[in-house]
Amino acid sequence: MTLGSYLVRRIGVALPTLVGVTLAIFFMVRLIPGDPARVILGLQASDEEVVRIRRELGLDRPIYVQYGRFIGRLVRGDLGISAVTRAPVIEEVATRLGPTAQLAVSSIVVATAVGLGAGIVSATRQYTAIDYLVMTVALCGVSIPVFWLGIMLMLVFSVYLHWLPAGGYGGPAHFVLPTIALAAFSIAIIARMTRSSLLETFNQDYVRTAHAKGARPRAVVLRHALKNALIPVITVIGLQFGALLGGAILTETTFAWPGMGRLLVNAITSRDYPVVQGIVLTFAVIFTVVNLIVDLLYAYVDPRIHYG
Amino acid sequence: MTHSPFRLGIIVVLIATAFSWQSPPAGAQAAPRQLRIAVGIDADTLDPVGGTTTTVNNMVDYFYETLVDVETTPGEIKPKLATRWQISRDGLTYTFTLRSGVRFHDGTPMDSAAVKFTLERLLDPRVRNPNRHLFAAIKSVETSGDLNVRLTLSQPSPILLASLGTTTAAILSPAAVQRAGDRFSVAPTGAGTGPYIFKEWRRGDSITVERNPNYWGQKPSFEEVQFRVVPDAGTRLTQLLAGDVHMAMLPPAPDVKGLRRNPRVTVVEAPTDRTVFLVLNNQWGPFKDVRVRQAMNYAVNKKAILASVLFDLGTVSVSPCPPMMFGGIPVQEGGWPYNPIKAKQLLAEAGYKDGFEVNFFAPTGRYIQDFQFAQAISAQLRNVGVRANVSTMDWPSYVAMILTPPDRTRVQMIVLGWAWPVLDCDGALYGQFHSGVAHPPTGLGPAYYKNEKVDALLTEARQTNDPNKRKALYKEAQELIWNDAPWVFLWTQKWYVATVKNLEGVKVTPIEKWHAIYATWKP
Repeated sequence: MTLGSYLVRRIGVALPTLVGVTLAIFFMVRLIPGDPARVILGLQASDEEVVRIRRELGLDRPIYVQYGRFIGRLVRGDLGISAVTRAPVIEEVATRLGPTAQLAVSSIVVATAVGLGAGIVSATRQYTAIDYLVMTVALCGVSIPVFWLGIMLMLVFSVYLHWLPAGGYGGPAHFVLPTIALAAFSIAIIARMTRSSLLETFNQDYVRTAHAKGARPRAVVLRHALKNALIPVITVIGLQFGALLGGAILTETTFAWPGMGRLLVNAITSRDYPVVQGIVLTFAVIFTVVNLIVDLLYAYVDPRIHYG
Repeated sequence: MTHSPFRLGIIVVLIATAFSWQSPPAGAQAAPRQLRIAVGIDADTLDPVGGTTTTVNNMVDYFYETLVDVETTPGEIKPKLATRWQISRDGLTYTFTLRSGVRFHDGTPMDSAAVKFTLERLLDPRVRNPNRHLFAAIKSVETSGDLNVRLTLSQPSPILLASLGTTTAAILSPAAVQRAGDRFSVAPTGAGTGPYIFKEWRRGDSITVERNPNYWGQKPSFEEVQFRVVPDAGTRLTQLLAGDVHMAMLPPAPDVKGLRRNPRVTVVEAPTDRTVFLVLNNQWGPFKDVRVRQAMNYAVNKKAILASVLFDLGTVSVSPCPPMMFGGIPVQEGGWPYNPIKAKQLLAEAGYKDGFEVNFFAPTGRYIQDFQFAQAISAQLRNVGVRANVSTMDWPSYVAMILTPPDRTRVQMIVLGWAWPVLDCDGALYGQFHSGVAHPPTGLGPAYYKNEKVDALLTEARQTNDPNKRKALYKEAQELIWNDAPWVFLWTQKWYVATVKNLEGVKVTPIEKWHAIYATWKP
């Protein structure tokens, strides 16, 4: 089997998953109480207006008819129109995907660089002051809620020092604080995973051999140990990237970032079914792709793994 | 390698320094070209007819205008795009004379054809209009010449003229609406006559308007205004303190006390027509008895909660219809008095000497400090033996709970707020207390209150044009409702914004809007 046929098989597996996602989200979003027509029109609207909107949104039809229409449009690449703004869902998602993706990428780059570095420093100096310091900071990183960290960063760097803007989307300066706030958790997770995974490989025979044959300690750590320790780290980085895309809701709210997380929350609170469906589907596709990339990276890092 | 954390620190500091001139501190500085306002929500539509949210209306008010002005002086109706109007003696014909020489932003003239187009559009069932009921009395719209418009009504409607001053009835350029087609709700280019012109809507991020050089009236002082969407109240305040924005709507309520003393900030606050109350389900168990409902009103110390939980962002309710609205009167000065002894007496008389248990729901973040004050109320009720356990849920679920028919409803006691875009007791009372329209699932008055006398008074008041007669009818209705105590009357909310000290002339209106079009900058 070649890499190509592996990819085809993986995509073949992904499709039923995505159909399952459409089914789950379609029915779940309709199970939460709350009438979209009433929520969209507000409390003062008259009852006949509500009935009219319900008809306009197709909510007066049986639920299987609604699902059929949704799938029918989907295979033609149409996610429908937003029940609230009446703009195409594709357009709503596309305008928000950019800011979210940019923030996720900048955060994962920072998180990987800092997390790997901190993990290596910590592992090579196990049980020293530096190790304890790094792990304490990492513990804080996983424990501090992002909205609190975000506000604190803004207080220090925007209100007192006037160095950086307090939220909002724009030039490079706007990226600094949300990237730090969003990356903090991932840095901590990656650092801890790198440390423990590295420590495990340090006890392996081939590391001892490398030391014995006189390789420089730096080469032993980076070339022999680290490469073998990377598999679980890559898994974690892949998962974190998915989480950064989907889990940026709080960061986006705190920093007034016009991204998908906030769009999703707004869509849920206004019961905008088409937009909720569109976003969840987009997230599902992204997760599938990221998982695939992670699997392919395994083979690169560990030549013993073959997909061909 | 030992130094790498420090090196990283230095890099962060260097990067930060590189951008450090981007946002100079607020304080003594020249007037900005662009006034920036942090708002809590993004627009859902920029079509004024589709608006459901005051804040969105507030933003589109920068580029749309109405026939009459109901907002500059609450309670008074002043000319805007119409200079004069006449109402026939039977209240069935309204004749408007339009301001001459006014042009829409797309260059087309604002004339009788545009007014006819606008009014027919907001009655058109194919156009989404949550407030259509305000204009339901209009039967036909005719033009005579370029500047005269005549409305014929199917029945007298004392609230119609004021309704024509709400954002919903903003006059639109027919050419611009047709050109935009389906995109009108997201890109309403050139459709208004207002002092600012719509420039750009970056969804989820900002809405920008620029000054209209050909505006017919007084020109505003800022060249551009940008509304920034900042959903988190804490961040809005942070942006104000950092000088990124010049005005922030609704900073966190607990911070308002400190902000009032902050020398660099002005808090602009004013009472509104939003009444906040506890709905008692009048058809449920103990609340069927008027003595129990009165006891509930005696048991809650509104003043104490206002001072300690709402930071004085409210005024104790003195009537079911706030006195600032047409027809509103203070039924009882100071509101229902706090008197737990009297409350216990009434409960004992009604057969609830040992109190009772009741489900109590409150939303979170819908009204000022809602879930927090509900807990304070629950503690006070415990003192008279009423055990109320507070729970919360998200807003759509909350509305779904309200809209359940009486035989299946979970409502026993809930927090609710009610406000109306037209300052008239009709809006405050009809939808909550007229048993023919208020009861869920079709109405929004989950108290299930029923008093035939009140029904008759409210119906008559909305079909009469004589202001004095209407006032008398509303006076009687308010007194009856007040003593029937279908709610625990709490308070009317204030609305507030915070601005940098340099910004002057910002006002807050009774319908939860800010007035900042003519704000000025004092260096």
